[in-house]
Amino acid sequence: MIGKEKLVKIVGAGNVSYEQKTLDEYSKDISFVNAVRPVCVVKPKNASDVRKIVNLANKTQTPLVPVSSGPPHFRGDTVPGIGGAVIVDLSKMKKIINVDRARRVAMVEPGVTFGELIPAAEKEGIRLNMPLLPRKSKTVIGSILEREPVIMPKYQWDISDPLSCVEVIFGSGDEFRTGQAAGPGTVKEQWAVGGVQKAPYGPGVASWHRLIQGAQGTMGIVTWASMRCEILPSLEEPFVVGSSNLDTLLEMISWLIRLRMVNECFILNNTNLAAIFTKKWPRGYQNLKDSLPAWTLFYTVAGYEYLPEERISSHIKGITEITQRLGVEAVKAAGGVSANEILKAVQQPSGEPYWKLRYKGACEDIFFLTINDKLEGQIGVMNELAEKADYSASEMGVYIQPIVQGTGCHCEFNLFYDPGNPSELNRVRGLSNSAVKSLMAKDAFFSRPYGENANMILNRDAATVAVLDKLKKMFDPNSIMNPGKVCF
Amino acid sequence: MALNKEVYKEFEDVVGEENICNDPAIMPAYFSTEFAAVILPGNTAEVQAIVKLCNKHKMQFRPICTGWTGMFPPGIILLDLRRMNRIIEINEKNMYAVVEPYVISSQLQAELMKRGLNFCIKGAGTNCTAMLRGHGHMDQTTSGDDRNHLAIEWITPEGDIVRSGSLGSSDEWFCGDGPGPSLRSILTSAVPPGVTPGVFTKAAVKLYHWSGPSAYPVEGISPHYSLSEIPPNMMARYFSFPSVEKMWQAELKIGESEICFELMGFNISMVAANITTSNEEEEETFNRLNKEVQGPGFFVIVVGDTPADFEYKQRVLEKIVSENDGKSLKAVEDPRIEGILMCQCTRISASIRETFRNGGAFNSIPIMGQRDLTIKWAIGAGKAKEPLIEKGYIVDDGGAFFGWGVEQGHLGKTEIFCKFDPGNPEAKAAVEGWQKEQNRRAFTERYFASTMGPQDEIGPALLNYHLWWQKITEALDPNGVSPSGGSLV
Ligand SMILES: Cc1cc2nc3c(=O)[nH]c(=O)nc-3n(C[C@H](O)[C@H](O)[C@H](O)COP(=O)(O)OP(=O)(O)OC[C@H]3O[C@@H](n4cnc5c(N)ncnc54)[C@H](O)[C@@H]3O)c2cc1C
Repeated sequence: MIGKEKLVKIVGAGNVSYEQKTLDEYSKDISFVNAVRPVCVVKPKNASDVRKIVNLANKTQTPLVPVSSGPPHFRGDTVPGIGGAVIVDLSKMKKIINVDRARRVAMVEPGVTFGELIPAAEKEGIRLNMPLLPRKSKTVIGSILEREPVIMPKYQWDISDPLSCVEVIFGSGDEFRTGQAAGPGTVKEQWAVGGVQKAPYGPGVASWHRLIQGAQGTMGIVTWASMRCEILPSLEEPFVVGSSNLDTLLEMISWLIRLRMVNECFILNNTNLAAIFTKKWPRGYQNLKDSLPAWTLFYTVAGYEYLPEERISSHIKGITEITQRLGVEAVKAAGGVSANEILKAVQQPSGEPYWKLRYKGACEDIFFLTINDKLEGQIGVMNELAEKADYSASEMGVYIQPIVQGTGCHCEFNLFYDPGNPSELNRVRGLSNSAVKSLMAKDAFFSRPYGENANMILNRDAATVAVLDKLKKMFDPNSIMNPGKVCF
Repeated sequence: MALNKEVYKEFEDVVGEENICNDPAIMPAYFSTEFAAVILPGNTAEVQAIVKLCNKHKMQFRPICTGWTGMFPPGIILLDLRRMNRIIEINEKNMYAVVEPYVISSQLQAELMKRGLNFCIKGAGTNCTAMLRGHGHMDQTTSGDDRNHLAIEWITPEGDIVRSGSLGSSDEWFCGDGPGPSLRSILTSAVPPGVTPGVFTKAAVKLYHWSGPSAYPVEGISPHYSLSEIPPNMMARYFSFPSVEKMWQAELKIGESEICFELMGFNISMVAANITTSNEEEEETFNRLNKEVQGPGFFVIVVGDTPADFEYKQRVLEKIVSENDGKSLKAVEDPRIEGILMCQCTRISASIRETFRNGGAFNSIPIMGQRDLTIKWAIGAGKAKEPLIEKGYIVDDGGAFFGWGVEQGHLGKTEIFCKFDPGNPEAKAAVEGWQKEQNRRAFTERYFASTMGPQDEIGPALLNYHLWWQKITEALDPNGVSPSGGSLV
């Protein structure tokens, strides 16, 4: 184990905590993973601190659990998988290193949240491709490294987007920079000649950033990341289309994306829309929900620097052809929620309390990737399972996010529950396990396996795991990085 | 170096006598190297069996799809994958196609265009494989390089079948990443100095919407083709600008406003090469067009998804070009020339004219990434070409570079090459010297590092990525059946 005095020497006494209360906070989260208390929490101030901590951990075989976002955590990935772990809390690394309008790129340290980066980017005339309403404490890097889906699928050319480059200290202690950032020269030397850290591929044949994304901190600790940004529109027109027929909305959304006519776009069911937009809890919730269609497709049409009105009107014309063909109507409000209100909300992180906690205090998310054709069947299975588990399917939130320019979609079931009610909690826990199993049988692809279900998910693909194991041995030979997560 | 009879028989048992050859009179038809054998597997199972046999006998092998590039040390087995030539699936709704190694791009694109779809085609040409990564003329809207692959079926160097992403978990091709970290980090294939060891036997590639015609109305006979009419929702133009800076500003704005299907920064010498059918005609055309252009420029194709969209895009283009003092090249406004360029630059069929025709050989420095940065470097590399032109070592192209936008200008490519006569040793030496010097300048001045250069110099400057890659290769290929070194353009 790493000695306290060694950690203090690296980060200073104020940044190391052995306090029981603090340790308790890191020992569990809202997910169902077993509570495991860390030995201490250390807050590095910069990459050099991180490197020293990783080197010490290697010498002493100490597990490290990197955490960049603040609580509440939901996925179990920041709860130690084994005893004796040191939490490496990166929340003090808060620099916004660079925002470059012309190259449409930003670069930040791991502690920077969406709420912090959004105004800095906007000031320069650019913006991030956001996940849907991240909690206030969620960091940009945390979200991107998890491959969270983004709400402008048109701008997600590759599932790794918007990630450009990262600086990482691998578990081995080696420092690496991916993509264009690798060199030649230091980042500062690259800036001096006009280079930014934008191109993601390389160096050489590999795309190293893809190895770090989705790894849940099992490969190394990222000390900064750069990400592509998009131009701020000069004009935006949001719309909603409500329907009881999900298939019709799926057909519509796939054409909107295929023709690149819309920016933000996603589908929510009435439960989720009400969970997000209810103003007066608890009374307003049911009223709002009752006013909403079963499914709401939201999208924005935008104009940029040149002839923005014309651009918007040409897209609206194009979209009208689609809505007429499908027999639906694009309007400015669904029940009690206006399209403008949705647009304004989704361009920021969630207000407090986090929207997933407002209804009942806790939420278990079941999410996977799939293709449109399979979605209805998978939702059907989930509804059946919920009813069987005595969890009313109509209480379940559903979020459908097309990904990667329409080559698939992220489907998320949000099971709201009262954490103070043990029987409800157990029902949701049981439902979560059985749902993952049954959804896999229906071809749901759990590309981001977390917590209790990770093993079940990974066991289906032994060949991939065998290769991942080889890679893991190289980049983290002593297995100090977040042991017990993914398949490691 | 030939295989002994027993070993040969083992391989023959896998593919049948028709599909294996060690005839020293036939094998050199592939490449100028001495192969131990050439084997033509017909499916994934046969590839797997061959790879396992290679491990058993510690024989090295290297696969080719369409075989345009690659390094083939003597004594290895060549796996020619031409029998694996099926388009497995075109999934219109979910925008991907699944192909085998010998599906060529023109074949896939012809099928896609009938369905209003398109995909990224490597600039080398539509006769190359559709399966391996690459970049090309249409990258502005079809992306490029390693960003178009979804799930991949891969035979590891040890002979295991890995089906990446959703394919391994749920038998669907739409995603290549996960569960957990993505194997796409290493499943990339052909980029120097390494290629992913093992064999890709199928891959899903991303598709993109195509609003152009399902087939071009081509008329005429070889080599004088043209279009009988320009599709009503398409337009092609070449714009030249008074300075590189103005050209770059226009390129940037075009990307940001998402108005061009294609932005290909041809220099005028390449335009001349594309629209002519002989060296004499090309030289005359180059000299003529070179007088008309004001400076560097680019070629664009605009495609309207609807009439209103087409009108909007054209109007914005006009505004951007005029704000940057751009001038349209009259020759390309001629529908005969416009049509043929439009066709060549979407069906991707002109590369050979641009690169080989009037010299016989070319040496190139290509670089993908941050376009404004690489343009900055390429200006110097172009100046450095001028003395070679004066001495008559290389074809006179005005010292130009070229390149294109990728993903609406988020990324880009810049490339500069010298065309020369490989039979002239002085010219060859001069071009090689230029290439070395300009690569060195890119490296020491911190623009980029061409990873085709000497690894012991470049590797350490790029955080020893080459050692990491070597480690990965060794871990995946304990018996060393994949020869080291990769493909070279
Ligand atoms: C004149 C010219 C212009 C070019 N322009 C471009 C361009 O604009 N853009 C561009 O991207 N490239 C370009 N190239 C490079 C190259 O030709 C292309 O990338 C090419 O299309 C790749 O296909 P191929 O037929 O060459 O592949 P192959 O020669 O068949 O293979 C290339 C490499 O990949 C490996 N490989 C082949 N098949 C497999 C497999 N099934 N599994 C695993 N590995 C495999 C091979 O061993 C080899 O090392 C150009 C080349 C030339 C000669």
